[in-house]
Amino acid sequence: MADEAPQPDPAGVGDVKPGLRIGTLAIVFLGAFVVLTLRLWNLQLTAADTYQELAAENQIKIVQTPAPRGEIVDRNGRLLAGTRPALSVVVDRSLIPVEAEEDLIQRLSAFLNVPAAELREQFDDAGSGARFSVAGEVPEAQTLFLVERREQFPGVSVEPDPVRVYPQGVVGGQFVGYIGRPTEADLELADIDPTDTIGKAGVEREYDSYLQGSPGFIKYRIDANGSVLGLLGEQEPSPGGTVHLSVDVDVQAQLEQSLTEGLQLARDSYDPDCAPSPEDPKCPIRAVGVVMDVTDGSILGMASVPGYDPSIFVDGLSEAEWQQLLNTAVFNNFAIQGVYAPASTFKTIAYVMALEEGIFPADVQSDAGAYFCDGLLEFRFQDGSPQLYRDWLSDGHGPVDLHSALQTSCDLYFWEVALRVWAGRGDQYDEALLQEWARDFGFGSRTGIDLPFEQRGLIPDRQWFEEQQAEGSGRVRAEGGWSGGDLMNTVIGQGDVLVTPLQLASAYAAMVNGGTLWQPHVVDRVTDADGNVLFEASAEPINEVELSERTVDLIRQDLQGVVNGPAGTARSAFVDFGPLQPLVGGKTGTAEVIKSNVVAEQVDTAWFVGVAPINDPQYVVAVVVERGGSGGRVAAPTARQVLQFLLQGPEAVTPIAAGEEAD
Amino acid sequence: MAIAARSPVGLVQRERALRPDLFIVIPYVLLSGLGVLMIYSASARRLETLGVDPGASMKRQALFVVIGIVVFIVASMLETRFLRLVAPMLYVGSLAALILVLTGLGKFNQGSQRWIPIGPIQLQPSEIAKIAVILALAAVLTPGNEEGLRWHRVARAIALVAVPAYLIFRQPDLGTMLVFGFIAVVMLFVAGTTWRQLGFLVVTAVVGTVALFQLNVLKDYQVTRLQAFLDPTASLANANYNQAQSQIAIGSGGFLGKGVFNGTQTNLQFVPEQSTDFIFTAIGEQLGFVGGVVVLGLFAVLVWRLLMSAAVAGDRFGQLVAVGVAALLSFHVFVNVGMTVRLLPVTGLPLPFLSLGGTAFLVMSLALGLAHSVWMHRPPMPGERRGL
Repeated sequence: MADEAPQPDPAGVGDVKPGLRIGTLAIVFLGAFVVLTLRLWNLQLTAADTYQELAAENQIKIVQTPAPRGEIVDRNGRLLAGTRPALSVVVDRSLIPVEAEEDLIQRLSAFLNVPAAELREQFDDAGSGARFSVAGEVPEAQTLFLVERREQFPGVSVEPDPVRVYPQGVVGGQFVGYIGRPTEADLELADIDPTDTIGKAGVEREYDSYLQGSPGFIKYRIDANGSVLGLLGEQEPSPGGTVHLSVDVDVQAQLEQSLTEGLQLARDSYDPDCAPSPEDPKCPIRAVGVVMDVTDGSILGMASVPGYDPSIFVDGLSEAEWQQLLNTAVFNNFAIQGVYAPASTFKTIAYVMALEEGIFPADVQSDAGAYFCDGLLEFRFQDGSPQLYRDWLSDGHGPVDLHSALQTSCDLYFWEVALRVWAGRGDQYDEALLQEWARDFGFGSRTGIDLPFEQRGLIPDRQWFEEQQAEGSGRVRAEGGWSGGDLMNTVIGQGDVLVTPLQLASAYAAMVNGGTLWQPHVVDRVTDADGNVLFEASAEPINEVELSERTVDLIRQDLQGVVNGPAGTARSAFVDFGPLQPLVGGKTGTAEVIKSNVVAEQVDTAWFVGVAPINDPQYVVAVVVERGGSGGRVAAPTARQVLQFLLQGPEAVTPIAAGEEAD
Repeated sequence: MAIAARSPVGLVQRERALRPDLFIVIPYVLLSGLGVLMIYSASARRLETLGVDPGASMKRQALFVVIGIVVFIVASMLETRFLRLVAPMLYVGSLAALILVLTGLGKFNQGSQRWIPIGPIQLQPSEIAKIAVILALAAVLTPGNEEGLRWHRVARAIALVAVPAYLIFRQPDLGTMLVFGFIAVVMLFVAGTTWRQLGFLVVTAVVGTVALFQLNVLKDYQVTRLQAFLDPTASLANANYNQAQSQIAIGSGGFLGKGVFNGTQTNLQFVPEQSTDFIFTAIGEQLGFVGGVVVLGLFAVLVWRLLMSAAVAGDRFGQLVAVGVAALLSFHVFVNVGMTVRLLPVTGLPLPFLSLGGTAFLVMSLALGLAHSVWMHRPPMPGERRGL
């Protein structure tokens, strides 16, 4: 009994003190409760705002509604690019239960008549939770089927998905451009999604921000399953602006037609059925033209032939077709992206310089002073070695002054002008005087036209020459310095001179309009749906070249002489122009294509720059036929048709016929 | 002398047996009632969209609350002697049930086999095993006359826990398995293990955990959950989603909460398993910090009173039972709430008295009742007034 007596420890647990251990437990448990409370404090008091925001975002789903892309119209409002309403099937993966996806793909495959594997690929490419359009255009009748069986197609909806149309087809295709999905590089530049459609080339690209419009949105309240519980807000998309071009579709169509005929004319004298390829380097490859308004720099037409129809990017094309187009470089707008030696068309720079600076061949006192152009010029280098230069016309042109030298395109006269500059370099003249005149007229730098990918061309001088030597680029001689011979090449637009057709057109415009070098532009203005002007191209001079009235009058007369004068290099190409022929002026050019200082295959670049009406210049037309041969024979007749159209209307355009072989 | 001394005490005990501990009863009733309300708020919308009675879950839980209270009252009356008697039978019975659930009788749900369907009732043997193990451990750890706790007794205790723990691991139910480990450690601690024994137990537990991972015995989803917990930057779409949404629900509740039936996370069903494992998010969102602290406070009061019951227990068995129940309850609360506030990984342990679930509620009520009986049958404290 005694050992059953109550022990000092009421719980009777022997020598351990459970009270102490229970107390320890109590403290540990209390600690855990404190930790949980502190955590609640942290979540619900310190960070409550963050979580409230997250909770609010959780229940909102925003669906973007695309804005209809703006239209591109010509100066008379004729449609070049527009959109046609269409419907497409859009899948929102965030609304499809994963286990239902395979089933849905099978149904869609049957419905859209697209292989299931292809759809699966689209799903995978888009990523989980993505929203994307699964097929191209779907006929409205077909979409009804889908709408009526909504429960069989979870997460699938029919939505407006406008289709881009280009009603003019190939006409203007190069500067209109095309649209497509952004590349990796595009994505880095701007705030766009990989599924957006953006302008990829031409006006579509350059004016993309206006054409895009701003997408609208629909804001839904959703639950965790993505089921829509209600509408929170909606904003209609605002359609893209209408881009009004300065281009005239009729002029553009005539330009392309004439370039096509001009190219064929060039091919006819070689092989009418030839196709340009590396194996056939003599086949004329393309014809490029620019029609510009002399008074403000607006572009009326611009093309390189062969071209392309931008709608091929809408309808899709096969890999082979794509390769074919890439090989012929049809996507490049050679009017601004092609650089060529301007040849004799460049002589007008020396002509203007001669008049303004009073620089004429040795012993010639004025622009009327005669110089005997005998077809052969002997020129000694500083070391005394003789160099012979031949005029394009081997017998020469007889006695010429500045005016007849331009009209007959006498190389010797302009070489002599260059040699005067060379002889007087350092004291009397700046060595780069000619180059400065050329740069004043915009050569060697981009015109800044509102189209992408413009090239800057090249006006060579000593500095450039030495830089190339130092780099060892292979574009210049490794030995010897910049010489008078280089300047002689430069003055006749050969050697390393490179210009774009647009630069040439724009320089001629400045020469005949009194010296204003306008910034060329293809877009006149952009308006919104209500007709408000969002953007307007103001006529902006890049440069004002100081020219005396006399110089302007004389160059107009001499350009007129090239076309109308008895010895004019373009006379034969314009014989059947029509009554307004006297109002036309211009300059031919035939550029030798030189590689590594060796005259390559004798397939020259044919040039013609025309100006009309010459008494009050309105239009400048520059035409180049790559591998076209003689400017007078091929390029001048091509430009002639365009000028006929501009001055006398479509009925006055006469069939193309080869002109005389002339520089 | 002994008899003379004991009989008045016995009389007092019998008198006092009718006096419940209101600090246990009131939190128990409040939590259970709140649970029914929160279950309704969290389940009504979903049930409605399913086209069934929106109150279905709530009603079911309310029924279990009523049954649970009866169980609690009955359990509170039981004397420790009776419990010691049934402990072996209960233990053997629950082992049998745990084996049965792994056979064809067991029902699969969400990748694990935990339930035996008996008519409309889903019996969860692992829940009953919790009580069985507490009682069995208490019986084993109540020493005769030995000094301290001998190793062989510790070994027997561990073996006693290890068998059901392994069976539960096979279901698999990692959370419940951890409950057993925790209960065992706490009860061994109070039973008087030496620090060396305790150290050995902890080291064994750590080695065992590492072995679980190294030997690839964990199910993929368990590993995923743990990884998701360790790397919270993983996408919302993954295992992390539950906890991220849970955190948003609680955090957005703020100080006072959004009000009952006004929680967007709750109403729009952004928190998966909200009525069951994540019921605390319904409290956090709708009742805010205040509601959360009140709930934690009620649990703290319960744990405090359970430990108190243990401290004043009339015998060692009762003391260990009370400690075991306190460990059971607090582990569930810490792990469950810790999971919802993203302090701990997702383990699937319900929140006692609040989470939707019949067996769990009944077992928790039973456990609480047993511990309560320890209080009711306690000897008087020195100087305690009669009849109080």
